[in-house]
Amino acid sequence: MAKNDLQGTLDLLVLKTLSQTKSLHGYGIVLHIQRASDELLRVEEGSLYPALHRMEQSGWIASEWALTETGRKAKYYKLTATGKKKLLEAEEDFEHLVKGVRAILHYA
Amino acid sequence: MSMFRRISNLFHRSRVDREIDAELSAHIAMRMDDNLAAGMTPGEARRDALVRFGNPTATKERAVAADAALTLDNIGRDVRFALRQLRKSPGFTSVALLTLALGIGATTALFSVVDAVMLKPLPFPTAGRLVQVESVLVGSRRGGAASYLDFLDWRARNHVLDGMAAYRTGDYTLIGPHEPEHLQGAAVSAQLFSVLGVTPALGRSFLAEEDNPAAAGGTDAAILSYGLWQRDFASDRTVLGRVLQLGDQRFTVVGVMPPRFQFPIQAEPIELWTTLAVDAKGGADAMTAQRGAHYLDVVALLKPGVTVQQAQAELADIASALNKEHPENHPRTMRVEPELQVLTGDLRTPMFVLLGGVGCVLLIVCANLANLLLARATGRRREMAVRIALGASRGRVLCQLLAESLVLGLLGGALGLGLAVLSFGLLVRLMPADIPRLDSIGLDLRLVAFSFLVSLAASVLFGLAPALQASKVSLTESLKKSGRGAGGADKGRLRSVLVVSEVALSVILLLGAVLLLRSFVHVAQVNPGFNPDHVLTFELDSPAGAGSAQFPVFFRQAVARIGSVPGVLSASAAASLPLTGDHMRLSLESEDQPMALGSRPLANFNVVEPGFFRTLGTAFESGRDFTAGDTFASTPVVVVNRALARTFFPNQNPIGKHVRPGIGNGYGKDGPPMREIVGVVEDVKQRGPAVEAAPEVYAPLAQCPFDTMFVVARTASDPASIVKAARQQIAALDKDLPIYHVKTFDQYFADAVAGPRFNSFLMAVFAALAVLLACLGVYGVVAYAVLQRTHEIGIRMALGASGGNVVRSVLHRGAVLALIGVGIGLAASFPLAHLVASMLFGVRANDPVTFAATAFALLSIALLASYIPARRAARVNPMVALRSE
Repeated sequence: MAKNDLQGTLDLLVLKTLSQTKSLHGYGIVLHIQRASDELLRVEEGSLYPALHRMEQSGWIASEWALTETGRKAKYYKLTATGKKKLLEAEEDFEHLVKGVRAILHYA
Repeated sequence: MSMFRRISNLFHRSRVDREIDAELSAHIAMRMDDNLAAGMTPGEARRDALVRFGNPTATKERAVAADAALTLDNIGRDVRFALRQLRKSPGFTSVALLTLALGIGATTALFSVVDAVMLKPLPFPTAGRLVQVESVLVGSRRGGAASYLDFLDWRARNHVLDGMAAYRTGDYTLIGPHEPEHLQGAAVSAQLFSVLGVTPALGRSFLAEEDNPAAAGGTDAAILSYGLWQRDFASDRTVLGRVLQLGDQRFTVVGVMPPRFQFPIQAEPIELWTTLAVDAKGGADAMTAQRGAHYLDVVALLKPGVTVQQAQAELADIASALNKEHPENHPRTMRVEPELQVLTGDLRTPMFVLLGGVGCVLLIVCANLANLLLARATGRRREMAVRIALGASRGRVLCQLLAESLVLGLLGGALGLGLAVLSFGLLVRLMPADIPRLDSIGLDLRLVAFSFLVSLAASVLFGLAPALQASKVSLTESLKKSGRGAGGADKGRLRSVLVVSEVALSVILLLGAVLLLRSFVHVAQVNPGFNPDHVLTFELDSPAGAGSAQFPVFFRQAVARIGSVPGVLSASAAASLPLTGDHMRLSLESEDQPMALGSRPLANFNVVEPGFFRTLGTAFESGRDFTAGDTFASTPVVVVNRALARTFFPNQNPIGKHVRPGIGNGYGKDGPPMREIVGVVEDVKQRGPAVEAAPEVYAPLAQCPFDTMFVVARTASDPASIVKAARQQIAALDKDLPIYHVKTFDQYFADAVAGPRFNSFLMAVFAALAVLLACLGVYGVVAYAVLQRTHEIGIRMALGASGGNVVRSVLHRGAVLALIGVGIGLAASFPLAHLVASMLFGVRANDPVTFAATAFALLSIALLASYIPARRAARVNPMVALRSE
């Protein structure tokens, strides 16, 4: 049984994004997900920050303050070792979910 | 690490706040940068960034929530906020705090009593393994005391006990440099202190060989209590080895027990311990030499790992073996019970019933508060809606409301604890004096912990439902101006449920209180077979060194001297007195039915001087009192009570019949003589007004010498006024003899009914509180309903409804609630009533009159409580009501 829900999906998107870049700030994550999904997915900005902080408290991601290219101070997040393991789990869970949902949709 | 970070975040809330603010504004700023780059005007860029981001306050709150186990920090805020809120509505706050303080205070106070008397372990290192071993007559719950020879056999033959000690209390007169002083003491097995695991603070315990009478010329050993050592011996360490004159015996002090050591545990402190060697004098006549003399209590220490049941089984086997070896004695069996349980045996039921009662009061308090909070929530619905609209989550609102309840509960609990501590003095005074360990009541950690937990539980109990209701607001409905609307009906139902449970609980309590009160009235009205008014009693020992032939002479003189005191109407003496808890039971044989020694029935036995019955106010049914003519040389005679006449001589005239009480005193080798019945007196309730009188035989002191007697004197005025004169008279007879246990008979009587009085008093207080609170509840709900219906009532009256119609329709609601509550309460009471059955006298637990009266009373009170808002409803001015929106 795959444990998955919307929040789990947001976690997965964030973790995956951070695994593909070295480190990124919240706004960057929003833009990346939007671009990478061909504008199909749009992250609810109000939900992103609570999720980031929760994952940071759980030790999946770490943060530090740094300057952006345009010279603004922003909080950059990057994946930790635990986070990499979590990402693998989340990907597997998601595969299960997709398989399950698809099976139901194709049920004749 | 993460936990540590969360906790450290708590102390840096402002830093965390700033950081999140910075992070979020950076996000918005970056979005604005991109928007500007895409060609928007600065205004558009900003608006778009904000709209996409949503409510920054809410986002921030949630981000903060993820950061800190911030609930803790929020609790701090919520508590401060709650305090502000409570200060803002002093009326609500003071009513809530007062009822809570009463509820929690009463619960805590009663718990402290239960804890001190029944729950705290006994103050001995071996407390967990201590058991009481009792010798019980086969086929009866009665008995308990053991004979010394039986005790020695039990001790020698068992394999389940690490030690066993016999003991009895005794009265001693210390004759020293000061006035003669009466001391309450105990004669104990040498092993007692090791069984209890206690060693003397000074000197040594008894040696095993000191259980036997000292060799000629030697003295017995004695151990002093710490209090006696301080008081009479000025804490002098050289007291060890000193010889004390106690009555006509001499004892060497070998030790002093530690402060506060007490055994046996009883209300009157023990000041001196001797060994049972004091009972071993006199050869074959000695108490310790008679297997039939059951006069000792036995405490024992279970071997580690042995259960009470195992010990019981083995000792019962030993008892049946002893029954076979000694067929001349009544067959007996054994009962082994944990020491603490024996000590609190009779108290368990009343204590737990009272605790249950006070628990009900607390539940009612909670229901009432929940009701108050619901009413308050109605007024605060808009406040809640505004908070939620501004981004507070439902959880936060819930937390904040619960914090208010918690603050209320804990403040109320603290006040309650204070009330409880204040009530200790009153409680102890009200309680029967013979309850052991009452002096250990006091404020301690256990009590603080208890009241804290109770407050916590109460806070959740009364706070949770209203908080859930209040946080479930519908924004649009509530933000509209109207005070009524969403949730009103729902809330009304919850409030009704609360009130119905309040009424039901009150029914249970009121019923319990009425049963106990009726029972108490019955007990107090019983004819005890004597008149306790204006009677002074005291105990008096015979002079040191007097022989049994001199006892009657001495006491006759003493009684004559007391009788000569001005104000004394009549005086007499008896070996035991009713209600003093000190009775002899002997085997009895009637001339009509000769029986073998082991199978004779038992009867109470007492020895009295002439005039005893007249002095006590006990009436003669037939025959005569003893006179100076009944001497040792004349025919042995007895007076019997009605119960004995009825049991032994049914439908016959007992006068002139003969019975043989199993007591020989001085009648030589032929054993106890047959004695002629010369009189029949009414039944005297020896063991308390509520206990049926047992068959009883009275013999004259002149024919049955005793060494210690109660002297009784009926006086014209206050009996206490002759105490000094009585003391002088006895001192004039023998300066070394103190009078002790000086008490009026009224006091004995008050002590005897103290239990029922205490129980019914407390229950009545609880019931009164319960009914008052339930009334407030009914009133509150009905008044609230009237308020909600003002508009409707206005319309009805405008359409021609009379005031009477309105009153009826409002009363109807109160009546329905009360009826349901009373119904549930009565139904619940039937199974509960049998719990109090053992505390009742003269009234049955399911007494229909009591049930009906209680139901009627509560219904009437509830209707009265609804009538006040109903009257107000009837006076509604239709125009005002219709405009009130």
